Amino acid sequence: MQFPESWLRALVDPPIGTQELAHLLTMSGLEVESCVPVAPGFSGVVVARVLSVQRHPNAERLSLCTVDAGQGEALAIVCGAPNVAPDMKVPCALPGAMLPGKDGAPFEIRKVTMRGIESAGMLCSARELGLSDDHSGLLTLAAQASVGADLRQVLGLDDHVFLLKLTPNRADCLSLLGVAREVAALTGAGVRPPETPPVPARGDSTFPVRIAAARACGRFGARVIRNVDATAPVPEWMKRRLERAGQRSISALVDVTNYVMLELGQPLHVYDLDKLAGGIEVRFGREGESLKLLNEQTVSIDGSVLCITDGSGPIGLAGIMGGNSTKAGFATRNILLESAFFAPEAIAGRARRYNFASDASHRFERGVDFGNCVASIERATRLILDVCGGEPGPVTDTQGELPVRSTVRMRVARARRVIGVPVDTREIAGIFDRLGFAHRLEGAGDAESFEVTPPSHRFDIAIEADLIEEVARVHGFERIPAHPPRAAAAMRARSESQRTLHALRRILAERDYREVISHSFVDAGWEADFAANGEPIRLANPIANHLEVMRSTLIGSLVASLRYNQNRDIERVRVFEVARVYLRDATAQAGPLQLAGLRQPMRVAAAACGAALPAQWGTARRDVDFYDVKADLAALLPPGEARYEPAPHPALHPGRSARVFIGGAPAGWIGELHPRWQRKYELAGPALVFEIDAQPLLQVPIPRYREVSRFPPVVRDCAVVVPNAVPWQDLLGALNEARPAAVQDIRLFDLYRGQGVDAGGKSLAFRVVMQDTSRTLTDEEADAVMAGLSEILAVRFGAKVRA
Amino acid sequence: MSDVESIVKEALEQFSRAGAPAELEQVKARFLGRSGALTEALKGLSRLGTGERRAAGALLNAAKERIESALEARRRALAESATEARLREEALDVTLPGRGRGRGGIHPISRTWERIEEIFASVGFDIADGPEIETDWYNFTALNQPENHPARSMHDTFYIEGMHALGADGRSEPLLLRTHTSPMQVRYARMHEAPIRVIAPGRTYRVDSDATHSPMFHQVEGLWIDEDISFADLKGAYTDFLRRFFETDALQVRFRPSFFPFTEPSAEIDMMFASGPKRGQWLEISGAGQVHPDVVRNFGLDPERSMGFAFGTGLERLAMLRYGITDLRLFFDGDLRFLSQFD
Repeated sequence: MQFPESWLRALVDPPIGTQELAHLLTMSGLEVESCVPVAPGFSGVVVARVLSVQRHPNAERLSLCTVDAGQGEALAIVCGAPNVAPDMKVPCALPGAMLPGKDGAPFEIRKVTMRGIESAGMLCSARELGLSDDHSGLLTLAAQASVGADLRQVLGLDDHVFLLKLTPNRADCLSLLGVAREVAALTGAGVRPPETPPVPARGDSTFPVRIAAARACGRFGARVIRNVDATAPVPEWMKRRLERAGQRSISALVDVTNYVMLELGQPLHVYDLDKLAGGIEVRFGREGESLKLLNEQTVSIDGSVLCITDGSGPIGLAGIMGGNSTKAGFATRNILLESAFFAPEAIAGRARRYNFASDASHRFERGVDFGNCVASIERATRLILDVCGGEPGPVTDTQGELPVRSTVRMRVARARRVIGVPVDTREIAGIFDRLGFAHRLEGAGDAESFEVTPPSHRFDIAIEADLIEEVARVHGFERIPAHPPRAAAAMRARSESQRTLHALRRILAERDYREVISHSFVDAGWEADFAANGEPIRLANPIANHLEVMRSTLIGSLVASLRYNQNRDIERVRVFEVARVYLRDATAQAGPLQLAGLRQPMRVAAAACGAALPAQWGTARRDVDFYDVKADLAALLPPGEARYEPAPHPALHPGRSARVFIGGAPAGWIGELHPRWQRKYELAGPALVFEIDAQPLLQVPIPRYREVSRFPPVVRDCAVVVPNAVPWQDLLGALNEARPAAVQDIRLFDLYRGQGVDAGGKSLAFRVVMQDTSRTLTDEEADAVMAGLSEILAVRFGAKVRA
Repeated sequence: MSDVESIVKEALEQFSRAGAPAELEQVKARFLGRSGALTEALKGLSRLGTGERRAAGALLNAAKERIESALEARRRALAESATEARLREEALDVTLPGRGRGRGGIHPISRTWERIEEIFASVGFDIADGPEIETDWYNFTALNQPENHPARSMHDTFYIEGMHALGADGRSEPLLLRTHTSPMQVRYARMHEAPIRVIAPGRTYRVDSDATHSPMFHQVEGLWIDEDISFADLKGAYTDFLRRFFETDALQVRFRPSFFPFTEPSAEIDMMFASGPKRGQWLEISGAGQVHPDVVRNFGLDPERSMGFAFGTGLERLAMLRYGITDLRLFFDGDLRFLSQFD
C-alpha cells in the first residue's frame, strides 16, 4: 500500500511529524517499508509566465526571455530549453534560490552574465529540480498556476510517499480511510472521512442484477450513468495523488475507480452499458466456459470460479478482473458502475491459479468492508459527474448473504496471562473504543470479560486471541517488559552413548576435511550416474533444470565441489557434507518423524582428491588413495567391529569399492570414484569417497573396564601365504573366532608380493600379542597358540606358513 | 726425586695437549704403559734398600695416582666435548613446519547452528530435527494456513511431483519441501507432553533465488509451551538469546506487531548493534509470537491449559551478521577459499 502523506493527512492529521508518524505505523504493525520525499529540497522557485522569447544575440542555442515571476517587474532570463515559448508557465529559480545539485549538495542561483547578457534567474526543467529525469525542456506548468506562487506549494512537493508492507490480516488498511482509522486509534486524532452524500438520480435508468451465488456475493451495488464524457481530462490533483500512490493515470473513468478504491478500499468496476447483453447474473462458472480478460489473457473457467455473467456468458471474474468484451473505453457514453462485496473464500487463491494478481483480488481475498458499497458508489458517482458529466440513475443494492459479525468474548485475565502484563480494564475499553469495536464489559474481578462486536471493515477478529492481539498491539509492544521466563531447573544431559552430528563434523574437520553445504536438489544426471537412480524424486516446480530432483546420494554434490575447487587451481581438495538424502521406500509408514513411502536419512559423506598430504618438506608427494580415506572413515566409526565387503556401486571403481557394515548392518559405501565419472566430471585425478548413514555413527558404547595384566606379554610374528583373492578381513575374522583367551591383539604389519612368494599369492605378516592376567605365559604355551592359529588358516584358506 | 716430579709434570702437560681420546691413550702408554716412564721408575725400586724403597715407593705411588686421576679427568673432558660436538651437529631448524595432515574446518552455518544449540540447551531446550519433504498438513494446515489462505502466498513452495500423502480427512494432499522449520513444532509437540522447550534447526526451501534469497536456506525454530509462558517471556528469552549470541549487552532489540497465521499476537523482531559497520540500523532478525490456540490444539494440547511462544530465525542471517559475510551465495558454493576462513 503506497500513498502520499498529504492524502493521509487530509483524512487524519495528528500533531506529529513525518518520521514520528512512520515510526508509529511501523510499531503498530503497519510496517513502513520506505518513506521518501516526493522531491528533493529546493527553495526560491516560483511560477513564472513567459512574456516574450527572442534569440540570444551571441549564442545560437540560447534564448533571451522576459518572464513575469510576480516580482513586480518583468525579468530578463537567458534560457537554453528548446520548448520555451511565450505564454507558457514554467518554474523560475530566482536569484538566491537553492537547487538540488547533482551530487546531493545544494547550489545557489545567482545573477550571471551569459554570453554578454545578464540573466536574472533560471527557468528549470524537471531534472534540474530533481523531480524526474526529464531534461528535454522546461517543466510545463498548468495554465491556471498563479504567477509568483512558490512552486513547492503549487505542486505539493512538501510531501512524502509512504510505502506500507501490510500483512495479510490487515486488509482494512488497504485504503487511505483504513490507514487513517488506524492512525486515529493510535493517536486519538479524529478521522474526517470523505463525504459521500447520496447523489440524486436524474432519471430512473437501472440495470437488472441477480445474485445466484448468495454466499459468495453478499452484495452487488450498481448504478447506471448515461452520457458521460469518457475522454474528459483527469484533474491534476487526482492524477498527482494516484501517481504518488503508484497508479498510472489511464483515463477519467479508470482513474476515478482507482481513486475510490485507494481512498475507501472498495474495488469498483465500470461496464460499457451498451455492450451488456441482458441482465447481470453473479454465479459460479461452468465447466467449458472461458473468458478474455481486460489484460487480453484468455482463461478457462470451472465451477470454483465466481463469475459476473450476462446473456452472452461470463463477462468478468468476480472480484478479480473484468472481461474485455464489456470494457469501457474512450468511446463509451453510458456506463454501469459496480460496487460489490465478494466473500474472501469465494475469491482466495483463484487469481493465483491463473498466475496473476489484481488490486481487486488482493483486497477481496483478504476482506473488503461490506458496509461501504453504497457510500463508494456515491463517492464514485460524484467524481464521475464532476469530471465526465452524465446523468446518474438510482443506486440498486442487490443483496446476497453478508457476513455476520458475531460477538467475540475476551477474558481480561486471559489477556493478561497471554501478554504477560496486567493491562488495566479501563485501558482495554479505551483501546476497543478507539478501534471502533462495539463492546460491553461483563463480570467482575477475575471473571471480567468483554463482549466485542467487530466492525464490518475488520475481517481478522473472530476469536479471543484476535482481540488479545489488538490489545497488545495498541497498548504497545514496546511497553511490554522483557522478563526471562522461569522454568524448573531440572538437569538435562545427552546420553553418554549418543554422539551429535556436530561431533562427527569435528572429527572430519580434524582429519583435514572441510564442510560444504550444497543444494538438496540436483541435476537428474547426477542421480543417474552416481546412484543409478532412474526414478528420482522430482520437484514439480524446480528453480532451474539442473536443480530438478531430490538427491538420494551426496556423492554428486561432493564431486561437483571437487571440480569447482580444482577449477580454481586448488589441487588437493578434501570436503565433506552432513545432510539428508531422499529415498522412495514403499515400505515406509507414516510416523511421528516420517512420511509414508519416503525415507529421508541423514548421511555423512566425504571426498578427497589430489595429494595425500599437503605439500610439505621431507615427505614425497603421492596421490591420496583408498587406504588413506579408509583410515579417515575409521576415525569416524564407533569403536567396535566394522566390516568391509567388496561390492559394486554405480559411482565407484568396481575393483575399489566396498560396502561398509557397522554392527553387522549395512551402513554405507567407500571407494574410488569410477574412472568413467572422473573423466565425465573432469576431475584431474582419482577421487576417493565415502558415504555413511549418520544414525549408526551416533551410537557409541559406554566403555567397560577389563583387567590390565601385570605379567609380561609374549609377542610372536607369523607370515602366511594365501591366494591374492583372500581378503585380510576374512583371515582376521577366522583368527578372532578361534582366538584363545590369552590373545590380546592380532595386527597386520606387512603385505608382500614378489620374489619368494608364488605368483597369484601374497604374504601377510601379522603380530600376535599374548598375555595372561594371572601368570607369565611359557614359550611352549605361546608356540601352541601360534600353531593353532596357523592350523586354522591352513584349513580355512589353504594358507602356508612362511619360514 | 725431582725425576718423579718432572715425570708427573710431563704427563699432565702431555695429557692436556692430547686433543682426541686415541691420542690420549697413546700418551698414557708413555707414562703408565709397560715400558712407560713411571713403570720404569717403579722397576728401579727393586734396586733400592728396604728403607729407601718404602719412601720412594710411596712417592711413586702418589705420582701414579695423580697421573691416573689426571688421565681420568682428561678422558671425561674429551668425552664431554665430543658429546657437545655431536649435539651441535644434530641441531635442527626448529622453525621448519611440522609434517603430516593439515586440519579442515566446519561450515559457518554449522558453527552458528551448534552455537545456537548450546545457548538454548543451557536453559534446558531440547534439540529436534525432522523431515524436509513434508506434507501439506504439517507445513500449512496444522499451522493455521488452510488451502487458499492469503498467507500461503508469502511462501513460494516447492512441490514434489507425483507424490501424495493421505491426509487426516482421507483426502490426498500434496508433498512439498518445507518452507519453514515450523512443522517441527507440531511434530515435536505431538510426540511430547507439556512443558515443551525445544529448538529445531534445519534446512528449509522456497522458490526464490537472487542475491539475497537462496532456494535453500536454514532456520531455527523455537517453541516453549507451559502453563503461563507469555509474550513478555518471549521478549525476555529472545532478547537474552541475541545478546548471548552476539556477546554484547549493548544490543538493542525491538518487537513490532506483525502477522503469522500460527501465532497471535505475532511479532517481527529487529535488532540494532551499538558498534561495528551496521551500528544504528534496525535489522530484521526473526518472526515470533504466542502460539495460536488452533495450533496448540493441533499439538494435541488444550489451549486453556497450555500456552507459550514460538519463533523462527534464519541461520544465514545470524551467520552473516556474526562473521560479516555480505553475500548469501557464498554459503552454498563450496569454495574452499571462503570455507577455510572459518577453520
